[in-house]
Amino acid sequence: MKKSIRDRVAIIGTGITKFGERWDKSPESLITDAVCEACDEANVDLQKEVEAGWVGVAYDTTGASANALTDPIALYGKPVTRVENYCCTGMDAFRNACYSIAAGVYDIVIAAGVEKLLDTGGSGLKIDQMYPHTTLVAQSAPGLFAPGAMRAFKEYGWTKEDLGRVAVKNHHNGVKHPKAHFRREITLETAVNAPMVCSPLGLFDCCAISDGSAALILTTPEIAKDKVGEGNYATVKAVAQAVYTRYPFNDPNYTGISIPSTVDAAASAYEQAGITNPMKELDFGIVHDCFTIAELFHYQDLGLCGTGESADLIREGVTSIDGAFPINPDGGLKCFGHPIGATGCRMVAEISRQVLGRAEGYQVKDAKAGLAHNLGGPLSVAMVTIVGTPEWEPGG
Amino acid sequence: MLGILSYGGYVPIWRIDRSTIALNSGMGSMGGERSVAARDEDSLTMAVEAGSDCLAGFDPKDIDGVFFATASSPFRQKTASSIIASALDMRKDVYTFDFTASTRGGTSAVRAALDSVKAGSARKILVIASEHRVAQPSSVFEQLFGDGAAALLIGDDGVIAEIEGFRTASDPIPGPWQMEGQDYMKTFEPKLDRLSGVLEDMPTVTSGLLEELGLTSGDISKFALAGPDPRSYMDLARVMKFDPKTQLEDPMFSTVGITGTAHCLLMLVGALEKAKPGDRIVCASLGEGSDAFEVKATDAISEVSGKHRGTNYAASKRMIPSYGRFMDWQGTRDSGWPPNDSSCSVVTFWREEKWAFPFYGMKCNKCGTIQYPIARTCINCRTIDDSQEVKIAKRGTVFTFAHDYLYAHGLIPADGVNPGTRVMSNMEDGCRIWLEMVDCELDEVKIDMPIELTFRVLHDKGGYRFYGWRARPVRG
Repeated sequence: MKKSIRDRVAIIGTGITKFGERWDKSPESLITDAVCEACDEANVDLQKEVEAGWVGVAYDTTGASANALTDPIALYGKPVTRVENYCCTGMDAFRNACYSIAAGVYDIVIAAGVEKLLDTGGSGLKIDQMYPHTTLVAQSAPGLFAPGAMRAFKEYGWTKEDLGRVAVKNHHNGVKHPKAHFRREITLETAVNAPMVCSPLGLFDCCAISDGSAALILTTPEIAKDKVGEGNYATVKAVAQAVYTRYPFNDPNYTGISIPSTVDAAASAYEQAGITNPMKELDFGIVHDCFTIAELFHYQDLGLCGTGESADLIREGVTSIDGAFPINPDGGLKCFGHPIGATGCRMVAEISRQVLGRAEGYQVKDAKAGLAHNLGGPLSVAMVTIVGTPEWEPGG
Repeated sequence: MLGILSYGGYVPIWRIDRSTIALNSGMGSMGGERSVAARDEDSLTMAVEAGSDCLAGFDPKDIDGVFFATASSPFRQKTASSIIASALDMRKDVYTFDFTASTRGGTSAVRAALDSVKAGSARKILVIASEHRVAQPSSVFEQLFGDGAAALLIGDDGVIAEIEGFRTASDPIPGPWQMEGQDYMKTFEPKLDRLSGVLEDMPTVTSGLLEELGLTSGDISKFALAGPDPRSYMDLARVMKFDPKTQLEDPMFSTVGITGTAHCLLMLVGALEKAKPGDRIVCASLGEGSDAFEVKATDAISEVSGKHRGTNYAASKRMIPSYGRFMDWQGTRDSGWPPNDSSCSVVTFWREEKWAFPFYGMKCNKCGTIQYPIARTCINCRTIDDSQEVKIAKRGTVFTFAHDYLYAHGLIPADGVNPGTRVMSNMEDGCRIWLEMVDCELDEVKIDMPIELTFRVLHDKGGYRFYGWRARPVRG
């Protein structure tokens, strides 16, 4: 009989570096900052108490294998694993770390992620190393979402303005977050008229190439009480993942307007958390807005609205920070950029901080539980994590 | 009866106005336009197009040989014909051979095919002549040359034009030539080439051929002749005593240009398209001598009329807007595009030949889903190892698309100005494929628009050239 992971893992420490163009910082330096911040918050002695580690690094240019974590902080003599799973890299490091705690194998572990994308140069993510195939057609990251946007425009009547509204909302939120890459408001006009990156996605429909790192200290709820005390830790309600094909555009079942990996990961997460109506039972969400159209797809794939209704949510302000169900109160990938290995860990850190009431300036009112959603690869790997206060129960 | 069973042609869709070229060089414009191979086309890809056109209505497994003729092979070592045969889905025991280094190679390949059929070693041989000669910037050849290909199916069953005679001459005149390490074709003294080659070798061979057949130039409906420039046709008409107004097949100079090895065969295709039973056509080439052969259309010629696109390809066109773009495509300047420093495995390419060249996918035996590429597991019903390989339809419609300013075709970093267009296509057999789209303007690409496949250079990586299929708007 499978046992839900709900409330078996506690998050006691979070570390998030400043995200952005960190030209002067090495990946080693960034991950050191994130880990130290998380350990301080967790009241944990890194060398003496952390028993194992998982590190998310997507590109070899950022770091190699376990040493991406061990060398910067000299965490030697312990089991450490590098995780790579496209843009879910960081959150999957967290997922594996969760299981080690839930299995009772370790008391305190670390999940961290880092990426130095600026060091590789060029525009957009380096895709050619991920698709070394000789004849199968591949595309840039926005090239994965633009075709779906074209379908949504045709089938639902969504518009370029709807995409722009997502960008405007997330930029508005990011202004308040001290660690965000971009911290300024934009207008709908700016968003809609920006230069084209991959039609119909313009510059403000795309998240940026950024550097950054994030870290999480995980333990059991029992040890958490001892380490940080009541009210200072969040618990994991669900951590789910689902994978589909690497070549969705050769799949005759692909509709262009729904991403099946998200649908399945969400269903699994809701089951683990005991949720039937996420919109009602959760308080907010942090979703993978690598592109504005992606955020709209996620609304419906996460069950926040019916098919084709995502644009209504953004038009009506439902997902604004003061709306009924805020999405990306932190500013999202739109404001943080997307240092691949770091993103998933940062998202989990953000929901943890929100439910503990620590998101000063961008705090969602009365947040007790929220979801973090990651989407990686050619729409293929999706993850949904739900984190809440230890007291939170589904059904509320 | 020995002769031509079918014909086909190909002219790239792109043209440049000769005045655009003239503006750059300062030389006067020769008038009209010339055809230009797209950035992802070469003599091999154009040969696949012409060969495919020629084989419309024929089973490619029924073809015994492919002879490819060009003076602009993409390879110094490697037969293009082996790739062409695979792209056209021929048998593994097909006889392939490249006739290279001379613009006379096309007619020589016809001769070799004819001899093979006559000797009984083959029943049907596909001869394809194709040319993509890059002329030196600011040279006269920039305006003279055009890119294109022609194909003839040679055999003894179902002849639409009987080959009644063939004559040849070899003559080591100086030029033109291109040596190893030289980027462009050279000539030393065009006047000598003209006197000795154009005005002596070709008339001598042709008059000998007509004499042998007991014919005079008046018996010939059309002459399909190679010529180094448009003026040479008038000289040839004078020397060979035919009326250029009525007896010369359109050399397509104002629309295509001089297509080297393919030229006289492309003109022959043009003549065959209009020929009536009993019409006689003479086709003659140039290149260190001359070949000439005469064909007589049979009653069957009327049956194939309109079945092949042939020289109609010259009618559909798009203009290259600038000389700079022309240079980028021809590779005659350092275009400043981001470097393509990634590599691809040639081993993978070899292993997956069946996807890449003859374009096979799979059909699940259980649920019937047709899918690309070939995998062991059905993407729809997920059954493992219960499928068959099937040839994927070459036409379909656009399901959705994107213009990608970050990555150009072949997953090469783009320059931010020229995007790579990709289309998710529903093929006529139900197969869904993600394809790169070429030969189109950005704003014409729409959901539901019809597309067809075209064989192209996917990319040059690691010093190797990778070929495969792309989508284009259906050409008229």
